[in-house]
Amino acid sequence: MKRIYLGEFEEIVLLTVAVLGDGAYGVSISDAIEEQTGRSASLSAVHAALHRLQEKSMLHSRMGEATAERGGRRKRLFTVTALGNRTLNEIRTVRNRMWDSISPQNFPAVSI
Amino acid sequence: MLKRTQPPRWAARLLEWFCSDDWLEEIQGDLEERFLRNVDLFGERSAKRQYVAQVFGFVRRFAWRDKKSSTPLQMKMMISNYFKIAWRNLVRSKSFSAINISGLALGMASAILIFLWIEDEKSIGTHYKNTSDLYRIMEREFTDGKIVADEDTPGLLADELKRQFPEIIYAAGLSSSESHVLTAGNKTTRQRGNFAGEDWLKMYEIPLLAGTYSALKSPGSIAVSRKLAETYFSDPEKAFGQAIRFGNGKDYQITAVYEDLPAQAPDKYEFLLNWDDYLSREKWLKEWTNFGPGTRILLRSDADPKQVNARLKWFLKGLNKDFSSGYFVNLFLMAEKDAYLHSNFKDGYLDGGRIDYVRLLAIIAVFLLLIATINFMNLATARSVKRAREVGVRKVVGADRGLLIGQFIGEAVLLTAMATVVAIALVYFILPFFNQLTDKQLFLPFGKPVFWFYMAGLLIFTGLLAGSYPAFFLSSLNPVKILKGTLRFGSGAKLFRRGLVVFQFVLSMLLIVGTAVVYRQLQYLQTKNLGYNRENLISIPLEGELSSKYDIFKEDLLRQSGIQSVTFMHTSPLNNGNTTEGVSWPGKSPAAVISFHNTATGYDFAKTMKVKFKDGRDFNKAFATDSSSYIINETAAKKIGYKNPVGQPLTFWDKPGKIVGLVEDFHFNSLHDPIRPLIIRLAEWKAGSILVRTEPGQTKEALSGLEAVYKKINPRFPFTYSFVDEGYQKLYKSESIVGVLATIFAGLAIFIACLGLFGLAAFTAEQRIKKIGVRKVLGASVSGIVAMLSQDFLRLVVVAILIASPLAWYVMSRWLENFAYKVDMSWLVFVLSGLLVAFIGLLTISYQSIKAALMNPVKSLKSE
Repeated sequence: MKRIYLGEFEEIVLLTVAVLGDGAYGVSISDAIEEQTGRSASLSAVHAALHRLQEKSMLHSRMGEATAERGGRRKRLFTVTALGNRTLNEIRTVRNRMWDSISPQNFPAVSI
Repeated sequence: MLKRTQPPRWAARLLEWFCSDDWLEEIQGDLEERFLRNVDLFGERSAKRQYVAQVFGFVRRFAWRDKKSSTPLQMKMMISNYFKIAWRNLVRSKSFSAINISGLALGMASAILIFLWIEDEKSIGTHYKNTSDLYRIMEREFTDGKIVADEDTPGLLADELKRQFPEIIYAAGLSSSESHVLTAGNKTTRQRGNFAGEDWLKMYEIPLLAGTYSALKSPGSIAVSRKLAETYFSDPEKAFGQAIRFGNGKDYQITAVYEDLPAQAPDKYEFLLNWDDYLSREKWLKEWTNFGPGTRILLRSDADPKQVNARLKWFLKGLNKDFSSGYFVNLFLMAEKDAYLHSNFKDGYLDGGRIDYVRLLAIIAVFLLLIATINFMNLATARSVKRAREVGVRKVVGADRGLLIGQFIGEAVLLTAMATVVAIALVYFILPFFNQLTDKQLFLPFGKPVFWFYMAGLLIFTGLLAGSYPAFFLSSLNPVKILKGTLRFGSGAKLFRRGLVVFQFVLSMLLIVGTAVVYRQLQYLQTKNLGYNRENLISIPLEGELSSKYDIFKEDLLRQSGIQSVTFMHTSPLNNGNTTEGVSWPGKSPAAVISFHNTATGYDFAKTMKVKFKDGRDFNKAFATDSSSYIINETAAKKIGYKNPVGQPLTFWDKPGKIVGLVEDFHFNSLHDPIRPLIIRLAEWKAGSILVRTEPGQTKEALSGLEAVYKKINPRFPFTYSFVDEGYQKLYKSESIVGVLATIFAGLAIFIACLGLFGLAAFTAEQRIKKIGVRKVLGASVSGIVAMLSQDFLRLVVVAILIASPLAWYVMSRWLENFAYKVDMSWLVFVLSGLLVAFIGLLTISYQSIKAALMNPVKSLKSE
């Protein structure tokens, strides 16, 4: 099956955008990643990932309102596209299937 | 409100600089938002540090500003459009294009010619493999407060230097060039050559066809050129080991054959003889007190010439016993590569030489190029009204200034490229004539990359210069004004254009005045009364049987028709370098050292040369005591201090005698030098050259008689003769060549300047066509209109003349200082040159203005 490959960080950024809904832009994404995963994500890394995701048509962006706290500059607000949604779903399905096919004796670390 | 903390400004700027516009706003915003939070959390310093780090974090490909805003396809279209427009402009205004291209081509052709000439001049003496280590030994002689520097050195100097200086690898003497009659087999010709030290051949690494570098080691050996070998033995190989007989009956054995010397060689010789032979012939040169031949050396490449120079300065002190407080000689080095161009010494120190001419022509070349490029600038800005609309439209649809500048400079370069092609073709055809004129073998080095490199440099330089002003001027125009039609060209542009015209004519005027002065000086030199009559005077070398049979020869000659009188002279009448300090008289201060020129002559010297006596008489056979009689010139009498010198005692070279004659000063050297004291004695032996005075208008008869007698008495020698007046003109050969060159280029300069003026006049007339029409309708006369149109230009030319005159006066009086005898800077030269320039300028304009004035006003007024 042909599908577009996503890097691990890209996947996290894409998920974060989905989590944030309407308020997804550089800083909020970076903060959310830190909050959710506990690892720090630099703004430039986030932007690079956003750029790549947009090129892969997984994200859509528009310019938001200007706010004073940004020196009067507008935010670029991101939303997940249909393709992005489908890709996330596919990844999730694949993962789940794989989780399900692990036999319990090979899976000591997880106790259900 | 509290002032908010700002992120580091430089980092923000950096971001702005590299970040693409698409991303800049959000990134700036995100960074600032994060920065403000960090200020609250961690304090200002930490926040700033993080800000900087994050900015650097954004140095990533995705965020970079893309330099190419327009796609390559668009660029290609634009450039092809530029070419199209350039071509259309070229074709539409054919006369302007022709003026531009021909002006530029002429200017560039002259520049190329001059450049070739300069390169050739500079290459002389620099073609050796070890050029930078080759030096000539020069002497600076201090006599009686006077300082003279030249290449004359003692005959033993080369060998002694080699012994004393470990830095000197090779050293060799070189005698002055001599002309000899050489015979081998049944061939007899006259050839020129020198005596040279043993090291000569290997020092200059002269390529040998036969023999070894030690060929000049032993007496009786001779090295000959390929040309000479081929003349006598048809083949360089065959010549090796053969004997060749000199006019004096002595045989020399060929021990080496060398390749013909290249054109850049400063010393020209067809043969070289052994140095010991020279010293045994000229025994006086073995004395350290006497100076004659040149000395050349090769230094080790690691040697310091300054140190050698310092040690050389007083080298002769222990050797020359004549040294005193009033007379001493310093030695110094002159680099071989400089020797040709820097050969003039004034009062003992370097004072230019041919380098002056090189510089002069270089300046002329730059002038010509400037004049040609100014033509271009003027015509381009004058016609800018026509191009203004194009500029307006281009600007409106988005061309920025850089692009427009590029376009106009590109157009200039394109036009210059065409001019370059024409110029190279011109040079190609002119070169043979130019070579004949300058006595050189110049050629266009098409095969050398350096040449094309220079051509490209010339093209770009000229193109940029010509295109720069129009490009900046046109691209600065305001598109709104252009398109609304309210554009008025300010007085600035007009003033600039006028300034350029004035500048062109200043340059032209400078060249014309310069040429006029050079010409007058040359004329003066050629007609100056030298104190003797140089016309109808024939000189033949006194050699072979002539020296023993001189008296019979003279008697026979005097019986021929057309011959007035005959004498001989040890030195040439045109060039006397023999000086001596060995003169004394009663009452001479023992400390005084005065240098006297001297020569020895036969009987009838004054009669033949037509030198005038102030007092006393010529040498006469009737007086047996004349072998110790002397004739002196007025300058010598002044130096000695005799009021009535005739009859007074004089001791010359330890030979006491009497002064029997006082002659009026006459020139025995070139007019670069003042007349110096001269002592003439009666020759003890027959040598030098025979001088024959012929009847005016009977030169032909005299020559045939001369040849017949010569063949009878001196049959083994080919009959050669020279006219003294022709030899005199050769003394000023470099001046006359430069004079001719300057004339040609000055003519070109005014021609190119007038081309530009012609174009400008045409343009102005075209612009004022309606005004002229209205005036004619209202009854203006043709002459009135011509005057109106010419006035403006004429005023510019007059201003140029006023500016150029003092400049020219200053430059030319400096040039005239080279001559001891010179013309005055007459104001007439300036007036005539000025009138000439004004006249040519007026002539140029008048064609256009008369054409405009004669036009039918109906034609110009009916269309609006």
